[in-house]
Amino acid sequence: MAKTAQIDVKAQDIPGSLRGFLRSVLESGDIRAILVPLHLPMKNTVMPALVSDPERLKDADPLAPAFPMNTAKVVSRLTHKPSGGKIAAVLRPCEIRAFVELVKLKQGKTDEIVIIGADCPGAYGNRDYLRFVAENGTESTMKFYRDSLSGKDSEKLSSACKSCEFPVPEGADLLIGLLGSDTEKQVMIQALTPKGEELFGKLGLSESAEPPGRKAAVESLIARRKAYRDKMFAETAQSVDSIGKLTAYLADCVNCYNCRVACPVCYCKECVFVTDVFDHDPSQYLKWAERKGAVKMPADTLFYHITRLAHMSTACVGCGQCSNACPNDIRLAELFRTVAYRTQKAFDYEAGRSLEEAPPLSVFREAEFAEIEGIK
Amino acid sequence: MKRKIGTALVAGAGISGIRAALDLAECGYGVTLIDRCPHIGGILSQLDYQFPTDRCGMCKMLPSIARDDSSQYCLRKGLFHENIEIRLSTEIISLEGEPGHFKVMLRGKPGLISHELCTGCGACTAVCPVEVPDEFNEGLSLRKAVYLPVPHAIPNTYVIDTDACTRCGACEEACPTAAIRLSQGERRQFHILVVDDELIVRDSLKEWLEDEGFSVDMAESGPEALEQLANCAYHLMLADIKMTGMDGVELLKKAKEALPDLCVVMMTAYATVETAVEAMKIGALDYLIKPFDPNALISMVLRIYQDFETGQGHLSDFGAVVLCGGAAYFNPAESKNPFGYGVLPNVITSLEFERILSGTGPCQGKLVRPSDGKAIRKAAWIQCVGSRDLQTDADFCSDVCCMYAIKECLLAREKAEGEIETTIFYMDMRTFGKSFQRYRDQAENEQGVRFERGRIHSVIQDKEDNEGNLILHYSDRGGALHDESYDMVILAVGQLPAAGMAELAEMLKIPLNPWGFAQSEPFSLTQTGREGILLGGSFSGLKDIGESVTQASAAALSASRVIHAAGGSQEIESDTSEYRDVSRDYPKILVLVCTCGNRLSASDPQEIVRELEKDPAVFHVEFLGQTCTAEGWDRLAGLAEKYKPNRILIAACLSYIYARKLRELARQIGLNPALTEAVSYHQSASNPRGSGNLLSLLRMGIARLRHADPSPVLSVPVCQEALVVGGGIAGMTAALAVADHGFQVYLIEQAEVLGGNLRWLQKTIEGYEIKTLLDDTRMKVEKHPRIQVHIRTRVIASYGQVGSFFTTVQDEEGLTHTLEHGVTVLATGGTEAAATSYGYGTSSLVVTQKELEQKLAEKSLDPKKLAAVVMIQCVGSREEPRNYCSRVCCASALKHALYLKSQNPDMAIYVLYRDMMSYGFAETYFTQARKAGVIFIQYEVKEKPRVKISDQSVYVTVFDPILGSELEIESDLLVLATGIVPALPEYIVTTFGASVDRDGFFQEAESKWRPVDSLKEGVFGCGIAHSPRSAAESVISAEAAAQRALRILSYKQLPGGKFTAKVRHSLCSLCERCIAACPYGARVIDTDSEKIQVNPVMCQGCGSCAAVCPNSASFLEGYSIRQMLEVVDAAFA
Repeated sequence: MAKTAQIDVKAQDIPGSLRGFLRSVLESGDIRAILVPLHLPMKNTVMPALVSDPERLKDADPLAPAFPMNTAKVVSRLTHKPSGGKIAAVLRPCEIRAFVELVKLKQGKTDEIVIIGADCPGAYGNRDYLRFVAENGTESTMKFYRDSLSGKDSEKLSSACKSCEFPVPEGADLLIGLLGSDTEKQVMIQALTPKGEELFGKLGLSESAEPPGRKAAVESLIARRKAYRDKMFAETAQSVDSIGKLTAYLADCVNCYNCRVACPVCYCKECVFVTDVFDHDPSQYLKWAERKGAVKMPADTLFYHITRLAHMSTACVGCGQCSNACPNDIRLAELFRTVAYRTQKAFDYEAGRSLEEAPPLSVFREAEFAEIEGIK
Repeated sequence: MKRKIGTALVAGAGISGIRAALDLAECGYGVTLIDRCPHIGGILSQLDYQFPTDRCGMCKMLPSIARDDSSQYCLRKGLFHENIEIRLSTEIISLEGEPGHFKVMLRGKPGLISHELCTGCGACTAVCPVEVPDEFNEGLSLRKAVYLPVPHAIPNTYVIDTDACTRCGACEEACPTAAIRLSQGERRQFHILVVDDELIVRDSLKEWLEDEGFSVDMAESGPEALEQLANCAYHLMLADIKMTGMDGVELLKKAKEALPDLCVVMMTAYATVETAVEAMKIGALDYLIKPFDPNALISMVLRIYQDFETGQGHLSDFGAVVLCGGAAYFNPAESKNPFGYGVLPNVITSLEFERILSGTGPCQGKLVRPSDGKAIRKAAWIQCVGSRDLQTDADFCSDVCCMYAIKECLLAREKAEGEIETTIFYMDMRTFGKSFQRYRDQAENEQGVRFERGRIHSVIQDKEDNEGNLILHYSDRGGALHDESYDMVILAVGQLPAAGMAELAEMLKIPLNPWGFAQSEPFSLTQTGREGILLGGSFSGLKDIGESVTQASAAALSASRVIHAAGGSQEIESDTSEYRDVSRDYPKILVLVCTCGNRLSASDPQEIVRELEKDPAVFHVEFLGQTCTAEGWDRLAGLAEKYKPNRILIAACLSYIYARKLRELARQIGLNPALTEAVSYHQSASNPRGSGNLLSLLRMGIARLRHADPSPVLSVPVCQEALVVGGGIAGMTAALAVADHGFQVYLIEQAEVLGGNLRWLQKTIEGYEIKTLLDDTRMKVEKHPRIQVHIRTRVIASYGQVGSFFTTVQDEEGLTHTLEHGVTVLATGGTEAAATSYGYGTSSLVVTQKELEQKLAEKSLDPKKLAAVVMIQCVGSREEPRNYCSRVCCASALKHALYLKSQNPDMAIYVLYRDMMSYGFAETYFTQARKAGVIFIQYEVKEKPRVKISDQSVYVTVFDPILGSELEIESDLLVLATGIVPALPEYIVTTFGASVDRDGFFQEAESKWRPVDSLKEGVFGCGIAHSPRSAAESVISAEAAAQRALRILSYKQLPGGKFTAKVRHSLCSLCERCIAACPYGARVIDTDSEKIQVNPVMCQGCGSCAAVCPNSASFLEGYSIRQMLEVVDAAFA
């Protein structure tokens, strides 16, 4: 049985009590810094920050419905080589899962990091969040939390979050449990790994049972998300089921490649689409123009997205940052999740599920996809 | 490419011939590979899938180092190698000389179709009026007299079946490239004199021969014939023996006196055959028996005519000869019990069934009966047709039939999607090869193949229906009779010696065994009685692919030894050509299109030129006629000289022909050959030649050339020394084989003395003394100046890759030192498995086969004092977890049973067995044992014998299926055959980068095609560490391993291939996916420099790494993504 404790929430201030908890983590002596979403001092916007001074945690807001980026990439940069000390990172479930993929791709290491994850009610799109903060000021986070814990997803929640069936950070070392708790009074802390237990031991928490309503609350949330997800899959599949429709779906793309930059599992040092491979000779463009009568510029748009689907769909965690990053509101997250779900199912693989599961392309099975291989 | 002094002849281009030829060629020898058929591949050209993978994979035999010396495509289609000359339709006529210096006369059939000119268009076949059964489809379909011997060969040029051809000339007229030259006119120049005193004979002979186009004169007596011989030059005389006055023999004598070179064929009645044979001794070439079979007569005359045409063949020098003639297959129609074959249309042979399964077969791969097209839903296989049958003088097992029958069942089930019942009727299922037992179990338990131990009495037509179904009348294991209806019966036919074996053996002066197969020397499966003439593959008895290939490599090794001993030293031809540096120049491509005799339509050239010259990289486009001819090629070379392009593209019908020529041309004009390319535009029914098609082919070629990178081929240095781990017979043999080629060998043995299992073995089943082999080998090893023996030493650890391994060894005192070596041979052997059942260990009356052998040797057991002995086979083996056959136990049991019987004929011996695995010619000892009165009782694994032991006796209870009841046997001794377990510590295997299989034996790269290699280049396995085997089988596996090692050791710098994977480090994210994806272990991450490194020799250019790399940081040289995208774009333009 995992070690579980309850921490008290004072004056219904969940963010405040979490800040206190994080402070205790930083002061436990073992952790040199915590990576956590922080309200920046110069502007009321939330960005991940590596915090070493406990005082600075007063601006931490891990529950804000802000999701400016998938922090997995940041964590991989912080861990891919020895740093000389242990850090903790407060991450969303999709960030943890993306980090798991990156570790498997040798882009990060888990030796020197303790991952803290909270039950995730989802987040808004960047522009929606900024509008939301402007409207609600410092009360924003609490308002959002109260609404979402009441059992109803906010309309403004990003589509990726609405269709996410992974609200519980199962890959975390230490879990901050909100679902099924009376969060006006208490929040659950649970150690999920030996590393989590070690830290748990240092925090001087008193053990208690898991809140009885937790399991049902988790199941009900997941059921709601799955229902939304399946509807989204059906709609998306239907709208991209031919090359013509797919081209229309992506017609507004300007080859800015923001989606690729935002994608946590797009890990190449340099994308193939900016290398010489796609640096076509001028005569090539002329040839295409002559052959087809007209060629859209910049070219290779569809090719780019299909390539990214081919490269990333076994690793896609459905965080939705691609949509978040798109200047022209292309529904990329829907497309990627729909395709990724099928690809991962075909390999009996789930991105981010486990460090032990090798990525499909690293595994050779002699007998698979016989019908596609065409060998007999 | 490198060439050594010394050449070898490999006779027979089936799988073993190909292996032997490649092995020798890869070591640098020149090889002439001949086959009397017009195609390579032997029997395997007819078989699509092989057990136990039920796939092909022959291409895995292609060279893995110096890959560019050889073709690298489907080996069933064809083979090119820089050092191999392939001569088809060619036979050995004579052989003289000494080992190392043989003079061999080779004679090829006259080619009526020029291979250079034939484009394979098929116009000849379309007009040919003759139809004969197609041997490729085992006679299940018809072919024309001008035909493709195999449908999938490259180059696939037509040949003429001169026996079937009527010389009508239709094909000659139809051929668009004038490739066919029938010699109809020339035949008239061949004069034949027919001498017979019977007019009717003279007339009919004259008519038949004139129909064939020959000039024929007649004479009715000897004197008349002599007169005519004096007046006219005849090439052939057909002379009757029995004539009044001067008889045929006298005529022969007189004629030969005057004309010693005259060809004479005697004609004789059956009664005077002996006279005809006598006549041959005084100079007659052959004889014909009256009444004549016109076909036999014509084919004999044609043969003589062809010999006349080709003269005496070509005399060539060879250092050694490897005979890989394969085996022939039994024809059930000639059997005492043909099971209805030849009468009932739905009784077929296993070879015919293979053709039915094949997509290129008579039924296009559909599982239907050729007789009526009805789907096959219930099929029976009858085993041992022509094998293990004393009535047909086949006192041998054909080794492969059990396994191919299982395979055919599985393939049939797959084709029928399970909607078929398959039954194998057998005596013993001989699944003695590595992994074969599990293959059988899987077929039985998971695939539903029914195995019925029984004997077939007869196969008759099912009278109940009119659909051609068959009734099998058989007795089961218990002797009960059954009738069962099947819609197809397949006869698993066994082996026969290859056709012409006896004549060849006589000519080469090599011995044959009692069944007419080549006989090998004791403890060797490759040595004939004559040094320098070696046996590969199935020439000495049918073998499966893995064993054939192993034996072929072993034969290559022995051939190499002979050539080496005769002075075949190494002489590397290094390519020192200086090429122009064009890397910074904009592409300047010269495009040359062969018009192949002006068969492109008139408007095409202008359109093609117009289109191509839109591309700034295309410098000039030119059309030329027939570049395949010398004249055409000169014109082409002239253009290349004139324009000095920096890239050349040729489009012609058979581009592969140009590969070599282009390289020469490139050198001529100082251009790197990597900057030349030939594309094939081949006209066929499915691919009509048109300008659109040609245009896109040219554009694809241009795309490839535009991005071609002429970077040099990489290589790795080789430490030309070998490490052999294990000093048993396999290790010693491998060490000697390598050291005899002048390379240093370190032989590591953990025991105090060399010898391994040979130290306790006494005799082989054939009666050869093991001690002779041991003493002889040990002496050679210990005295060899190039072998350093380390006894009482073990391997601690090793690192490195092919060409350079560093291995730390430790002796008994704990002293360690490190050896550097280029290759590793693992020959750590194995032991008899421990006995744990049947009361072993509780009584001295229960012993193992090994203990019995030792007791008999040291005479601690007196056979005279034994009244009854029971032997139990398969103790703890052939069932999980040791579910494999150990091969040697049945032979040991037979050997000991026969010995005990010879010492004490009154002794009762009972052998309790599951399946007697007396494979190959060891079957005869099974027969002898039964004749000597040894009782064999078959038991099933679920009904094992039970043992009770008292002070004096062992009581064994077993169910006897024939009696249908249990027997209790009181015996004085119980002998257990426990089988073999490997002594191959996993850490040793893994430290060298190789792996073990699930039973702990050496895991080969591929059980059939690369049987002694590991997937990690430079590491080889042999002997019992590889798999259970006899001493002689250990020897060949060791020789094969040594041969494979010599391929590497003979290089100072081991070249990789042109198409090798590389890494663009500036793009690499170090995700290491490519390392996981590389099946050859060719990639490592260098943690110091933080770079992925590729070993250019281990890399086989498969491209898996490039496929998993998302941003093409890893790419395959010659197939860069940029290039490929452009090629694909051109293809769809």
